[in-house]
Amino acid sequence: MSGSLRRFARKLPELLVIWVPMLLSAGHVVVFTLWTTWVSFTPSTLMPTDGWVGLRNYSAVLATRNWKVAFDNLLLFGFSFMLLTTLVGLALAILLDQRLRGENVLRAIFLYPLAVSFVVTGTVWSWLLNPGMGVQKLVNSLGWTAFRFDWLVNRDMAIWTVVIAAIWQASGFAMALFLAGLRSVDADLLKAAQIDGAGPVRTYARVILPSLWPITVSVLVILLQFAIKTFDLVRALTEGGPGIATQLPALVVYDFMFQRGNLGRGSAAAVLMLLTLLAVLLPYAGWTYLQRRRARA
Amino acid sequence: MPKLSRRALLAASAGLLAAPASAQTVKPRLTAISQWSAGSDGAAITALGKKFEERGGVWQHSPVPGFTTEMMNKLRAQILGGDPPACSQLKGPEIAAWSKIAPTVNLDAVVAAAGYEKVVAPDLARIHKPGGKWAAMPLQIYRTNTLFVSKRAMDRVKADKLPTNWAEFNALAEKMKAAGIAYPLANGGSRPDDGQKFEAALAGISPTVYRAAIMNLDEKALKGPEMHAAFVQLRKLADWMDPNTASQAYAVHLPQFVAGDMGMMIQGGWAQGVLLNAGFKLDDFIIGPGPSDNGKPVFLLNADAFIFWQRKEADLQAGQKLMAEMVMDPAIQTMYSQITGSIPVRTDVDLSGPGWSDGQREAAATLKAAVAANQSVLSLAHNMAQENGMTAAMIDVITEYVKNRAITPDQAVTRLAEAVEGAR
Repeated sequence: MSGSLRRFARKLPELLVIWVPMLLSAGHVVVFTLWTTWVSFTPSTLMPTDGWVGLRNYSAVLATRNWKVAFDNLLLFGFSFMLLTTLVGLALAILLDQRLRGENVLRAIFLYPLAVSFVVTGTVWSWLLNPGMGVQKLVNSLGWTAFRFDWLVNRDMAIWTVVIAAIWQASGFAMALFLAGLRSVDADLLKAAQIDGAGPVRTYARVILPSLWPITVSVLVILLQFAIKTFDLVRALTEGGPGIATQLPALVVYDFMFQRGNLGRGSAAAVLMLLTLLAVLLPYAGWTYLQRRRARA
Repeated sequence: MPKLSRRALLAASAGLLAAPASAQTVKPRLTAISQWSAGSDGAAITALGKKFEERGGVWQHSPVPGFTTEMMNKLRAQILGGDPPACSQLKGPEIAAWSKIAPTVNLDAVVAAAGYEKVVAPDLARIHKPGGKWAAMPLQIYRTNTLFVSKRAMDRVKADKLPTNWAEFNALAEKMKAAGIAYPLANGGSRPDDGQKFEAALAGISPTVYRAAIMNLDEKALKGPEMHAAFVQLRKLADWMDPNTASQAYAVHLPQFVAGDMGMMIQGGWAQGVLLNAGFKLDDFIIGPGPSDNGKPVFLLNADAFIFWQRKEADLQAGQKLMAEMVMDPAIQTMYSQITGSIPVRTDVDLSGPGWSDGQREAAATLKAAVAANQSVLSLAHNMAQENGMTAAMIDVITEYVKNRAITPDQAVTRLAEAVEGAR
């Protein structure tokens, strides 16, 4: 056996395990993205068909109330979900970082919701939040009869029930990442702060939290794609209701494609979602690129 | 044009070769997909399959349980693969839409031989004849504006007569409310539930306008005074419903309805089967036609159907013919409807036998009278009046109106007209 062949044989598992799946999935993503983009410019209804209708599908989607409501909801839901999940996750991580007894158990409990599917989360919260059988009923039956917690059926507040359920689901994940970050803060820095006479609050604000910045950005980016593709949670929790008050773009895409039998408009909505994501991700990619260059320089 | 798979071509040529020799001996075979797998629907289709086998056929039914969309996705995949089922469940104007995608069987000869067309409601016949040719067969009919009234709620207000028009309905609901029944109307929170309340309101106010505005999308009718009146009535109905329902099914309220804590229900005829299955008795509730302001009965029609896809195999073609003949057969329609609680498609079936309930008898008689008065119309909420895209756009407006008291009837009329324009 020649040397190059042996080297190849040694590399073969790596090639098979990493590159083949990588190429396949990248191919899938790219090919289907291009295909969806193409369909969004065709007059396709029940089946993909050839033809060119220009931006007509886009203008039709943008003109529907469903899309407007969905997009407003995405902004509201996306920002509050990302912000609050990050804050809750960070708070949990800081509390867990106090060298508690039973930390492992608590960590598992906080992480557990992530192992539950969104459909289960949605269904459970739809029971808890239903004023006729959930929290409101419980508090009422305990004697506080004027207590009202009817966000689920209140069209102005219903989107917040989605936020609550999503935070419950994802904050454990944010906590895990932050906890790892907290544990990897340079011990020398902490000692230096201690010697300089900084109290715990000051230490967190000036030393620990700034060093968590890169992790915070990763958490936010991961939560962002959670937020944009949220589908099954809403489907199980509110079905987009009351009325169309909790529509989100992913529901609109599914609805156009499979329930309204209009692949062209559904694809247009999907491309609009992709553009939204890119509008956030491209600046982020640029920012990390600059960071890396600065680090190298 | 769908691509033909090599397998289909092979099967087709084999069929052609075999045809002359085996024309007499071929055993009819039917491949079918539907979403009916459980409960009375599953039992009915299984019974139909048994009858098919008794008549010498091979029955190959593949149920796709769950949402209708999943079944449609399977159908789409099979058509794209050039291997459509011999027949599949499909309903309403979607029959015309899908029949443009792949060739369907022309059933005109079979229908003519059975003299079927004159015993079917004209609107119903029309949607099963895309391009003027029978391509699909209605299987059973449900009325979506059936009025259910709780016996105990009636006792509480000392009433014994069902309301026949909206004024009487509103008076009875007010009376129930005054007697301490918090929610005189039991309703689910789903989109079709809200849509059903709207169609019952409009068709009860004017079936003529319903036909023009909802079925024919006439612009003038869509903005007319009857639409406004329908939204005013819908607001009343919405105010009588339990606001805590979220997205639950109407069936959640059945125990409260029977106990008299909720008074009335405007539902499809299938709710009778659901009530009986839940262990309630026929004398727990009273069934009647939905309110009609002009005194003549209005029937909002919902029908399940099978569409037949063109196949070249001789045995499948024989199976399609046999299936079409069976579905038109009054004995088969009787068997099917007695299992599911629907009413037969044929208007000439005798419902006096012991297998029928009073509710079914009343619904069938109302259908006949409504057809005679030209007051049988197709349900919007159950995808009979329009294609799915148009239906969904209209229900968006209706369900938002039901859930949002701040929208005025005028705004709702405008929004509905705009939604129709946008979805065209």
